[in-house]
Amino acid sequence: MANEIRVEPMPTWAPSGKPASAWSLFVEHHPVLVFTLPAAVVVFVLMVFPVFYTVYMSLHSWFASSLTAPEFIGLQNFKRAFTQDERFRNAIWLTLYFTALATALQVVLGVSLALLLNRPFRGKGFFRSIFLLPMVATPVAIALVWMMMYNPTLGVMNYLVGLVGLGPYTWVSDVRFVIPALAAVDTWEWTPLITLITLAGLATLPLEPYESALIDGATPAQMFWRITLPLLRPTIMVALLFRSIDCLKTFDIIYVMTAGGPGFASETLNVYTFQVGLFYFHIGYASSLLVILFALVLGVSLILIKVRRGAW
Amino acid sequence: MRITRTLLALLLIAGLALVSTAQAAQFNWQQFKGTQLRVLLNKHPWQVGIEPHLKDFEALTGIKLISEVYPEDQFRAKTLVELTSGASSIDVFMSMPAQEGLKYMRAGWLQPVDEFLKDPSLTSPDYNWNDFLDKTREAMVVEGKLVGPPIQVENVALMYRKDVFQKYNVKVPTTLDELEAAAKALNGKPMTDDGQPGFGIVARGKRAAATSMFAGMLYAMGGSWLTPAREPAINSEEAIKAIDLWGRLLRLYGPPGSENNHWYEASSIFSQGKAAMYTDANSLFPVIEDPQKSKVVGKVGYALFPRGPRGQYGSTVAVWGLAMPKTSKNQKAAWLFMQWATNKDQVLKVQSERGVLGARESVWKDPKGKAKVPSDLGESLMLGSKVGTPFWNPPVVAVAEVRDAVGAAIVTSIQGGDVRAAANKAAADMKRIMAETEKK
Repeated sequence: MANEIRVEPMPTWAPSGKPASAWSLFVEHHPVLVFTLPAAVVVFVLMVFPVFYTVYMSLHSWFASSLTAPEFIGLQNFKRAFTQDERFRNAIWLTLYFTALATALQVVLGVSLALLLNRPFRGKGFFRSIFLLPMVATPVAIALVWMMMYNPTLGVMNYLVGLVGLGPYTWVSDVRFVIPALAAVDTWEWTPLITLITLAGLATLPLEPYESALIDGATPAQMFWRITLPLLRPTIMVALLFRSIDCLKTFDIIYVMTAGGPGFASETLNVYTFQVGLFYFHIGYASSLLVILFALVLGVSLILIKVRRGAW
Repeated sequence: MRITRTLLALLLIAGLALVSTAQAAQFNWQQFKGTQLRVLLNKHPWQVGIEPHLKDFEALTGIKLISEVYPEDQFRAKTLVELTSGASSIDVFMSMPAQEGLKYMRAGWLQPVDEFLKDPSLTSPDYNWNDFLDKTREAMVVEGKLVGPPIQVENVALMYRKDVFQKYNVKVPTTLDELEAAAKALNGKPMTDDGQPGFGIVARGKRAAATSMFAGMLYAMGGSWLTPAREPAINSEEAIKAIDLWGRLLRLYGPPGSENNHWYEASSIFSQGKAAMYTDANSLFPVIEDPQKSKVVGKVGYALFPRGPRGQYGSTVAVWGLAMPKTSKNQKAAWLFMQWATNKDQVLKVQSERGVLGARESVWKDPKGKAKVPSDLGESLMLGSKVGTPFWNPPVVAVAEVRDAVGAAIVTSIQGGDVRAAANKAAADMKRIMAETEKK
């Protein structure tokens, strides 16, 4: 008796017996509309509206904080970026250079690490955790630490390369080294992400192809190039996609370490846009640069997705 | 009738006498009793120094202060956003006129205080405006109008290792030629605690950050940012010589990687004992004299920035001051606060308690005013702030953008590139930026 569970009948609408209001009837008849509305409003106000407003602003000339209103100038901002603005062309090139270098390093290192960590050995769990630590740290803190390590006079990097008879270099202060040096920091931080994704991919690989390969007398190298890598390809492409999008819009480590310097030698598109918008207050021009950055990220992503699907 | 007239005359005379004795004996600090002032402060040694005394102002005037403090970036953003909105309730804010003055003035956001300063009913007779060092007063003037009193001053100065100069028998440079000779002579000489070699000179080389110190070299060479007709002058012969010398000093006798050095990196190198000279703001002395972090405490001399080929002074006179927005509804009460915060007593308190570099000559001559500051720093600051230039920034609306354009030329010079071409490019960029941002 004591454990008997009584199921209350679902209360019918307006249990008080009063006639239901128009609003409650509306809710009853359109639950999908009503319950998704708050989320839709948030998405619209915080995401959709800013994107369209940025596009709208990109067609204007507006030097904020002068009391003049924005002036409609059509595609003039884009024309200026592509035909007159050296810093823009430099920024596009540096963005692509940084992205290509960083993602290439990360994919090679990340996949290699995943293959190593996928083998059975003592303390595997421990090492897996250790290798994932860089990803957890705050990028700004990482940038500050690397900045000290790269310091040509007081830093440890010149001591380290000195041990093998190289250097001294000026690292992020050298026009030739600044992008590779920044890509190294990004690689240090984000290689574990590729490792993590690849490990997940490795766990799902079927065993049968390896069995038949063993029976056919294939070498480990052949098995890697002919079986593991092709089977991992979709996984690696996903990791590559994540990292490319992220690298194209890298801001924190570059801004903290060099602010685009020396000169403009590490001023990627994102860093340049930040300067134009929030230091120079050319809101219209900064918006058009953001539209271009958006197009660039979208373009690179579409290409990678096509490659992943094997279309190319 | 006659009696009434006589009575009136008597009353009038008595009234006049009362007013004048009151003025002479005591300025009426209580005239805006009950007012509330909203004061926006930047996190800064001056703010730390004045805050404990704000209650004295409230007691003296009966005015209530609501002060807000923000770190510098947020402070600037907040001020800008509030002023842009046109509905700000700020009554007083900290401001560097050379940084944002022209932009704010042209936007019509600043309330000049010339009239308040002249008005004996609003300015206490013992305020003594002329006590402020000459160029610090000039530095608070934007387009001919005084925006407020200065609260702190700093100059680009020459900081040098007294022990190293003595050991190698080198004369402390007073001219740019001697500066280069000293940098050359001392570069590579042992100068750290453990006898390691150091650099001849260290200074900022990072794009925009370098320009405010480079301004000293520019004016010492006899150059300037703009011609009197507001055309870019950064590619004049004098300016090219200045850009060339700044880059050459750092390239030949400075630390590698100077192109990325801000004051933080430069002062680290100097305070680790790895450089014989350092040209930067003299307000950095607490960093260099901090026994926790610095290895050169007590070994550093503070001299005027070297003079140019025709004896021109290169000291920059960079001031923080107080300003009030046009939208303030309590402008006269706000002026009382500005006046109180910069009268001799307060300046002396903040300077003697915190070592904040004040702008009043009488305070620098007072033994208490000198106590927390190296004596040669005080001497050189007083002279530098009388004869230097308030234009540590280009006097334009788009300061940040023009600084980046000029900074790029400085970086090119450090890297050993074509200085003339870089200066011409900087001038062309300046012309374009000014055309875009200063159109009427």
